Amino acid sequence: MIELKNISKIYDIGDVKVAALNNVSFTCEKGEFISIMGHSGSGKSTMMNILGCLDRPTSGSYIIDSVDVAGMTDDELAAMRNRKLGFVFQSYNLLPKLTAIANVELPLIYSGNNHRRQRALAALEAVGIGKRASHKPSEMSGGEQQRVAIARALINDPLVILADEPTGNLDTQMSHNIMSLLVEQSKKGITIIVVTHEEDIAAYTQRTIYLRDGIIIEDKKR
Amino acid sequence: MSLWESLKSAWQAIFSNKTRSFLTMLGIVIGVCAVVLLVSLGQGFQASMTTTFNNMGASALYISTSTDKAVTSVRPLTLDDAEALQDKTVAPSISVVSPTLSSRVTVQYGNNSANVQATGVKPVITEIRNYQVDQGRFITDQDVTARSNIIVLGYQTATVLCGTDNPVGKSVRGQGSKYQVVGTLQKMGGFGGDSYILMPLTTMQSKLTGGGNNVQQIAVKAVSSDLVDSVISEVTSVLRNRHYIRTGAADDFTITDMRETLASMQATLAGFSLFMGAVGAISLIVGGIGIMNIMLVSVTERTREIGIRKAIGAKRRDILLQFLIEAAALSLTGGLVGLGLAMLGAMLMGNISLGNTTVTPVISAGIVFIALGVSIGTGLVSGTYPAFRAARLDPIESLRHE
Ligand SMILES: Nc1ncnc2c1ncn2[C@@H]1O[C@H](COP(=O)(O)OP(=O)(O)O)[C@@H](O)[C@H]1O
Ligand SMILES: [Mg+2]
Repeated sequence: MIELKNISKIYDIGDVKVAALNNVSFTCEKGEFISIMGHSGSGKSTMMNILGCLDRPTSGSYIIDSVDVAGMTDDELAAMRNRKLGFVFQSYNLLPKLTAIANVELPLIYSGNNHRRQRALAALEAVGIGKRASHKPSEMSGGEQQRVAIARALINDPLVILADEPTGNLDTQMSHNIMSLLVEQSKKGITIIVVTHEEDIAAYTQRTIYLRDGIIIEDKKR
Repeated sequence: MSLWESLKSAWQAIFSNKTRSFLTMLGIVIGVCAVVLLVSLGQGFQASMTTTFNNMGASALYISTSTDKAVTSVRPLTLDDAEALQDKTVAPSISVVSPTLSSRVTVQYGNNSANVQATGVKPVITEIRNYQVDQGRFITDQDVTARSNIIVLGYQTATVLCGTDNPVGKSVRGQGSKYQVVGTLQKMGGFGGDSYILMPLTTMQSKLTGGGNNVQQIAVKAVSSDLVDSVISEVTSVLRNRHYIRTGAADDFTITDMRETLASMQATLAGFSLFMGAVGAISLIVGGIGIMNIMLVSVTERTREIGIRKAIGAKRRDILLQFLIEAAALSLTGGLVGLGLAMLGAMLMGNISLGNTTVTPVISAGIVFIALGVSIGTGLVSGTYPAFRAARLDPIESLRHE
């Protein structure tokens, strides 16, 4: 369902060229729960950005849901992100001035959906914070904010959820709660890819990819 | 993203930063307020002017003594000059001749007094000026022949002196004499206002301006409007002859064509409007630059928000529209506030009486629509560049922005 073929991402910084990803190939089936590990600077975020259609590779092809992303315009990529992908970030990335429910509604606004309130509320309830619907991010704990972010990622029934260090800012207890929540979603058939530094977070997933200097050095089933 | 959603989020953005939004709008508020107020005053002024000219008789010519310093020997206009102009054999184009003589005088009735313009007239003046009798009667030829001590009161003078009482038959004192009020006149408006009294020309000559046969002004009317030029030449030749002015010497009188005066006043007003337009345009440009500036700041501050919105599916158009609508809403709000202030100002001004003058500012629907349209336009124009900048931002870099 996801296929990266010979993907390279090269950054030109003055005279030096940095290969954040170097000829990476990788496939993943629907419903897989995958973790990506590696040292800082090994190319994890770069890979997530390409998988998330936020960035374009320097070379190579990326096929998601049988569509080659290469020829798409920026607006087509935006539509792709809106309908097929869900993002969870380390720093939650909620809009601070909007309430939890309004944050969850946002993707529906851009896809022009109706019944947004009900759907957003249902999504919040599904991640266990229906009661916090009218709170602003600043009035919630990190774990709660990350739940709102997961609800927002789930709202358009995506094929894939991409989570770049989703537990990076959370304490151990919260981290495990969030991972349990992702496991739950995975069981419903959503493909999930999580970047993490921590082995016990990766332990929640079925498969781990190890990156070093932009190259996949290991790809192991658990 | 629908227009309604964009409007809602624009309103949220404006409202969540009230002080800044208000300061940003100030340029537009002041600009719109100033322009609307000035235009409405201009329109009020124009309306007053039209009334004035209608009252004065726009088709009349006014002859008065020359004030040109180059004219050394001046013979004042007299009642005899006026009679000479009525001679059909030398002045066939003239139909009405109305000599007048004016002076300021304080009139008293009981404890009330008023300092007013007193004008000595002949009954024929009603063919030139639009006097309408309210109560009693107007001045008659017998009054003029008999030098009767009678007066007719202007609308406001009647009110000031007698309140709600009927002034007709009452005796009013002025400059040591008593005058019987024979009539009052209806409200006229315009620049002269309604603060005046009229009396027979002869009474005026003997009682208030120290005798003599002099008059101040002679109004004449042409038999038909295409004969105005003939009237001017007839008046000139009759008066030059009577005043013994040698060929080559300048007239010792001037003839004012009200139509020319009207045209020149309208030209002045048009110039004034142009000036107001320029002032308005400048203040709106300044306001627009203020909006552009604050929108650019806002785009920078909200880079991360833009990144988030793009990550979850906002297209360029969505971001563009969001910031464009925000700028337009900001400017429109400023325009509405400015318009509100202008209306308040116009209302307050309408209640203040400026001496005899009654200029009422007129805020027409046209001004309202133009002011609001221009406000929205200013917002859109000044929001375009910042909105494009926002729409072009790269999602990843925006997300990394702190
Ligand atoms: N915009 C960029 N410009 C230049 N170099 C970059 C940019 N983004 C990432 N890199 C480089 O690419 C490499 C991989 O970065 P990244 O994918 O963020 O690593 P990770 O997420 O694994 O820490 C690093 O060496 C980083 O410095
Ligand atoms: Mg990273």
